[in-house]
Amino acid sequence: MGRLVFANPAYLWGLAALSVPILVHLFNRRRPKPLPFGAIEFVLRSQRQKSHRLRLRQILLLAMRCLLVAGVALALARPSLEPKGTAAAVSRGPQATALVIDASLSMRYRRGSQTLFARAKSEAANALYRLAPEEPATVGFCAGPGGFPGGSIPPPGFDRAATRRQIESAQPTYLGSDLTSCLAAAARALGESPVAGKRIIAFTDLAAHSIRLDAPPPIVPAPEGSPPNAAPLRPNVVLVDAAQGYELPNTALVATAIQPAASLGARGYEVVATVANNSAQPAVALPVSLRVGNQIVAKGFVDVPARGTAKKTLGAALPAGSVEGRVEIARTEDEGLDEDDVQDFTLQVPRDLKVLVVDGSPSSLRTRDEAFFVETALAPARTGGRIAPTTLDADAAMNAPLEGYDVILLLDVIAPPKAFVERLRQLVTKKGVGVFISLGDHVDPDAYDEAFGDLLPRPLHVLKTAADPAGSDQAAARFGVVEWQSPLFRVFSAADREGLLAARTFKYALLKPDPTGASHTLLSYDDGAPALVESRLGQGRVLLYTSTVSHAWTDWPVRVSFLPVLQQGVSWLGGSLEERTSPPSAVGDERTLMPPSGTRIAVVRAPDGTALPLRREPGSDVVGAPVPAPGLYRVEVQPERGAAREEPALDFVARLDPKESDLRRVSDDELKAQLGGSGSAQVASSALAAEGIHGTPLWSGLLLLGVLAVLGEGALTRK
Amino acid sequence: MTLDPALLARLGPLQVRARKVMEGVLTGLHQSPSYGQSVEFVEHKEYAPGDEIKHIDWRAYAKLDKYYVKRFEMETNLRALLVVDGSGSMAYGRGAMTKLQYGAVCAGALAFLLARQGDQVALLVAGDPEPGSTERLPPGVRAFLPFGSSNAHVQEVLRRLDGSAGRGPTDLAGALDFAAEKVGRRGLVIVASDLFDATERSVPALKMLRGRRHDVVVLHLLDREELDFPFDDPTRFLSMEDERQIDAQPRQIRQSYLAELQRFLEETRRELTRADVDYVQVATDRAPDRVLLELLSRREGSA
Repeated sequence: MGRLVFANPAYLWGLAALSVPILVHLFNRRRPKPLPFGAIEFVLRSQRQKSHRLRLRQILLLAMRCLLVAGVALALARPSLEPKGTAAAVSRGPQATALVIDASLSMRYRRGSQTLFARAKSEAANALYRLAPEEPATVGFCAGPGGFPGGSIPPPGFDRAATRRQIESAQPTYLGSDLTSCLAAAARALGESPVAGKRIIAFTDLAAHSIRLDAPPPIVPAPEGSPPNAAPLRPNVVLVDAAQGYELPNTALVATAIQPAASLGARGYEVVATVANNSAQPAVALPVSLRVGNQIVAKGFVDVPARGTAKKTLGAALPAGSVEGRVEIARTEDEGLDEDDVQDFTLQVPRDLKVLVVDGSPSSLRTRDEAFFVETALAPARTGGRIAPTTLDADAAMNAPLEGYDVILLLDVIAPPKAFVERLRQLVTKKGVGVFISLGDHVDPDAYDEAFGDLLPRPLHVLKTAADPAGSDQAAARFGVVEWQSPLFRVFSAADREGLLAARTFKYALLKPDPTGASHTLLSYDDGAPALVESRLGQGRVLLYTSTVSHAWTDWPVRVSFLPVLQQGVSWLGGSLEERTSPPSAVGDERTLMPPSGTRIAVVRAPDGTALPLRREPGSDVVGAPVPAPGLYRVEVQPERGAAREEPALDFVARLDPKESDLRRVSDDELKAQLGGSGSAQVASSALAAEGIHGTPLWSGLLLLGVLAVLGEGALTRK
Repeated sequence: MTLDPALLARLGPLQVRARKVMEGVLTGLHQSPSYGQSVEFVEHKEYAPGDEIKHIDWRAYAKLDKYYVKRFEMETNLRALLVVDGSGSMAYGRGAMTKLQYGAVCAGALAFLLARQGDQVALLVAGDPEPGSTERLPPGVRAFLPFGSSNAHVQEVLRRLDGSAGRGPTDLAGALDFAAEKVGRRGLVIVASDLFDATERSVPALKMLRGRRHDVVVLHLLDREELDFPFDDPTRFLSMEDERQIDAQPRQIRQSYLAELQRFLEETRRELTRADVDYVQVATDRAPDRVLLELLSRREGSA
């Protein structure tokens, strides 16, 4: 048994009102008036019959009335049963108080009409209101991996209005929380107060993931100037359970993976949603839907076992280009955490490309044909049908219509007439068509420079023969400097890079200096001569390769590294490079963004459209963007010239920490043990705990007794 | 005209009250004259269905070949014994009159009436003997005045009635035995009592009296407070006949009291009516002349 404590002991004076029913009882039992009565025989008979019952009724009536008075007086005094052992630890007198409000994602859990966070706020405001004037207070909002944002909270003070404003304006975050660190930080803050009593009142959902049971209990450091062997103080910790002891069942979408599905067509994708059920009951036929734009493109149902996960695969053919999608599970009406029922994703779906391959050196022997390796690399079987190549010889191409092609490859073509080049320039600048130029024996550098003019990223200078293909390969040029971050080479993992670097080139063109400086070298030989040079021209791009795409001047086309570079290059030129879905960020982390070459990150917009503050690394284009909320973040880049533009390739999504979706409570006993035992730690369901009223409130039961007494009294006095 | 008991109580001595009541009764009787049996022939009346066949004058039938019924003056040589209960409980009455006073008024008025028409009247006061009395009377008889019809006799009756006070237990049995003995031949016995008899011998004694062919009239006198039990405050009820007493909350026992009383009244009425005793329940707040008038009218009607 525990100890009985009263919140308002002054009301116990109300027990004096017990004298009223007792006086009434005595008054009724006063000496009766004598009356000689003729029909006393009948009085005797009725009294004999009733005397027992009457006496019992009198006693019952007295008991009921006493119960009524005592019940009301005691209820007003608000008694509660304090668990054994608490009294010693709860120091009386003023206590410096730290209010710790859990602002983690899980506090957004909806129960009835309000969230746990709203309840925690109102409980905290009540607790603040009830503090004695001589008790200093501080408040902190616990969110993020390190406890409080910034690591600490201000020491307790007496500016109640400011503290109240802080509580009122607080918003829950989308982050996880580390309540253990928060309690430790709050205890440190309490150490700065001269008031002897120390108390932490934490308002939390007591989710197990936010508490580390193996950590040492919070300790208030000994005040400065105290003897060195002074024992550190253990604060009284009251944990106010925002969930009031209720289970918090929740289903959540914890992962979304996207992968191409050839069975669904050229742009078919499968979205695999992982659904977690963090409740004791299995979730049956939970609707899962896939939304692209404003349209639901796929829908299904999933059964999730209790305390388990299940995967649901939804398939859809997605439109080409940048796709923003969302996977949702159905929300529970009356309660739940809504924020984790949704996950956004972004995906660059490559569009189909029409490619014209102009073969400047056709041959009846397939392997000697200049276009052989290119055609092989771009064959539909290797590209999933995304690239449709058409091959023409040079003469045919000069007169063929060029409209409708996304990329035109000129392979070892004799310098074309001006009219053709002009058509080409129009397509590149106006229509954004990409042009790939590779060289060969039919190329005369001077004629090329004259014919192509500024269509060439850099003018050709002379042809250099590094080695005889039949001779020793010692002298052959190898690729030296590779811009691995460029879209063409990004596909190479560190292990694969050797394959590219091993290619030998025997002959290639040297380039003149770039008169405009607009070109960009993506690949160089080991002697520093450019191998792949890129330039932007209007809306399009031109890529110049200074050697052949046959094995006439180089052995690269016969190596496995040639095929991905060509495919990537063609896709890139056509503006349809298949980007890998950018990996999602976790809410609370910082996203590192690297702009495409020649640009810098202009703006990163949060899902609600606001621009995020960016951290720019000195001397680099890399920026760090905070990720405060889940959803899709859009990135705009600023080229050196022209207006800022959206860069869908850099768009990314932020996802919530799946741990926050699991609201299983920590065990009270374990928690108390972690906090230093039940002597100094309490788990309560309301702010009353802050007043030192721990344990079980009894007054509601007393009120009930009072009501019963009223009813009983009424029944007994009814005639 | 009716005589309110409160008004009657202010009229002074019993003689005055009784005479007043008698006058009231006479006025009432005058207003509704009725005829009954009499030894003194008054007239013939043609027989009509409903007339007693035994009253058909067969000689007139023989002469006239028609049925005639003889009508007579009231009998004059009636012997009437007035029995008044003088027990302690009869002294109850917080209104205008106690039950005993009420009974005395009724008995006095009847004595006047009876003597006025020449009937013999006797008085018996039931109860414990007067302390210090030298009169040799059987147990249960406090006073007895033999039959007589003179004015002086009536005055003596009234004087005796006036002088008696309620005292001792109710036991009409002894008095009624004595009465039966004294009345001798078939006579009229009028008993005024509350019948609150702890021994429960009074009702059998009344039935016995009736069994001896006497005409028995019982005026069952009850106070209004006894009938309604209107008390509220805690009360110590004291017996008026012995040492019994009881503390009670009247409000709490009212229902059961009334039920008990009603049971007693019903039982008494049933017993006496079944024995052909003329039973009249009288609340003492009623006008005595009205009570007597009703009684006489009823008796005239049923005679």
